[in-house]
Amino acid sequence: MDETVAEFFKRTILKIPMTEMMTILKAWDFLSEKQLQNVNFRQRKESLVQDLVLLCEKKRASVHDAALLDIVCEDIDLFDMEQFKSSFKKILQRALKNVMVSFRDAEENAVWIRIAWGTQYRKPNQYKPVYVVYYSQTPYAFTSSCPLRSNIPLLGQALTVASNHHKIVKMDLRSRYLDSLKAIVFKQYNQTFETYNSTTPLQEKSLELDIHMDSRIIHENRIEKERVQRVTQETFGDYSQPRLEFAQYKLETKFKSDFNGDILAERKEPLRCLIKFSSPHLLEALKSLAPAGIADAPLSPLLTCIPNKGMNYFKIKDK
Amino acid sequence: MDSYESTHQHIASSRLKDYFIGATPLQKRLESVRKQTSFVPTPPRRKIPQCSQLQEDNDPQKVAFLLHKQWTLYSLTPLYKFSYTNLKEYASLLSAFIAAEKQKGLAVEVGEDFNIKVTFSTLLGMKGTQRDPEAFLVQILSKSQLPSENREHKVLWTGWFCCIFGDSLLETVSEDFTCVPLFLANGAETNTAIVGTWFQKTFDCYFSPLAINAFNLSWMAAMWTACKMDQYMAATEFLWSVPCSPQSLDISYAIHPEDAKALWDSVHKTPGEVTQEEVDLFMDCLYSHFHRHFKIHLSATRLVRVSTSVASAHTDGKIKILCHKYLIGVLAYLTELAIFQID
Repeated sequence: MDETVAEFFKRTILKIPMTEMMTILKAWDFLSEKQLQNVNFRQRKESLVQDLVLLCEKKRASVHDAALLDIVCEDIDLFDMEQFKSSFKKILQRALKNVMVSFRDAEENAVWIRIAWGTQYRKPNQYKPVYVVYYSQTPYAFTSSCPLRSNIPLLGQALTVASNHHKIVKMDLRSRYLDSLKAIVFKQYNQTFETYNSTTPLQEKSLELDIHMDSRIIHENRIEKERVQRVTQETFGDYSQPRLEFAQYKLETKFKSDFNGDILAERKEPLRCLIKFSSPHLLEALKSLAPAGIADAPLSPLLTCIPNKGMNYFKIKDK
Repeated sequence: MDSYESTHQHIASSRLKDYFIGATPLQKRLESVRKQTSFVPTPPRRKIPQCSQLQEDNDPQKVAFLLHKQWTLYSLTPLYKFSYTNLKEYASLLSAFIAAEKQKGLAVEVGEDFNIKVTFSTLLGMKGTQRDPEAFLVQILSKSQLPSENREHKVLWTGWFCCIFGDSLLETVSEDFTCVPLFLANGAETNTAIVGTWFQKTFDCYFSPLAINAFNLSWMAAMWTACKMDQYMAATEFLWSVPCSPQSLDISYAIHPEDAKALWDSVHKTPGEVTQEEVDLFMDCLYSHFHRHFKIHLSATRLVRVSTSVASAHTDGKIKILCHKYLIGVLAYLTELAIFQID
């Protein structure tokens, strides 16, 4: 067997979790039942993989067989939803006496979890539940705000352990619209479904300018307006923006001004500011600022990076 | 030093006033047109609020209920033949009026069918100079129906009338008039309307909502930042509303109060006073710091709210005073705005 093919086999088999190994190999249907029976599945994974690769070599497995194995791995949901649910529930119930956990399977390998928290002496409060949406094929989960902050670490731990991950990190991204969060996190917002002719709209826009003005004025204005339109389009794209309601910036930066040079010149400490942008549809509002003349184009990267970075809470300090 | 500056300021503002009274019809028309835009011919300098002598006399406990409450502002034209000796009579007249209005079915709030009691009382020490008329307070209280709770009166609505450093107005009216140009109300709109109607009918006066434009909000922010505070209760915060469509956008900008004070101190040159240039420079610094980070021109947007440890004010004419020490100072500025609106 070619070295590269052997390597391909080795890596593909390594990806399979031990719990799924038998299922996958049987579904692949390349190694016979008898051959599989002869393999010691209780040994360490590295050794098991070596044995299996040897078996494949003996049977003259080709790269096509390896590709098929790969497809089988993708096809079979390696993530065991039932196991996740049971594990998640157990972790919470072991830690808290009064907690009620409910599940609902949703589309795209997502599971909705509802948790009603109680205390040592009180039954779970059904009117202040926390909702979690976990997308099993991704390393992302979305939670609604938790009224009892002390339960947040436990919730994180339950999610991490039940889903076989190492740790959970809270992202600085919050919104009331789950679809928008998904769009940002899964990078789905920049898909244009309609075929788009990049030249026509710009031309249409420039024709809208007042053609009754003095021709010299039009010329300057048009160039700047078109530049602003172009830059805005490059920054924001032509698709509709994911919907966020706010962005918050905690600034600790020194005051510097070109025109007011001596103001606070001797002060070493930065200005501590907290700036919050709020809007029913923040990104669309920000997009309209430069064309309206309220902001420069290009807009500051602090604002335009929101979908790319998947953040709407920032802490900015002087470098 | 203080009394010198105080007189100086009054002379300046009353001179401005004289100028407009003696103006020709054309000048008066120009002046009223200017009023409709956001330009306010304001004195170029104002005194930084200090703890005034008179205020030292008033009991902080007695006026504590005025703090930390949101008041809606109105300007009020002088009251004709109002007398401080008739307060009890006014209380019963107003009480009867309210009852009658409620019987008519006007402005009835569902579920509120209990007896009410009206009180008029004076607020001592709420004035700038001795010439200012006494401030007074009107309250509508509910009388509980249950005999066991007979003593309890819940305050439903409060309104108070005052005049702080109102010389410019006082000089122009005859003795039949009482000048309390600033009116502050807290409670249901419907009650404010009923009380307002009664006052208008009884004293031939006129209430007008007092909006505060961005220009004056900037002044307030600068002046209140200039006030010396022993400790800061709150950040210095501004709120701008951005006129973009189709979605609205609000920008809130809060600065640590010590940093705001440091910025102000760096801008401030004239001791004891605040000048137009200083206000402009202070705001400019805030705008440029913001622009450096976000490339947005805040000056192209509309300032709608300012908030400091001294007080907070909203462009719709809402105020909340947070600090007893500068209560008179805040009211002085508002009185000035009210007087300007009346003229």
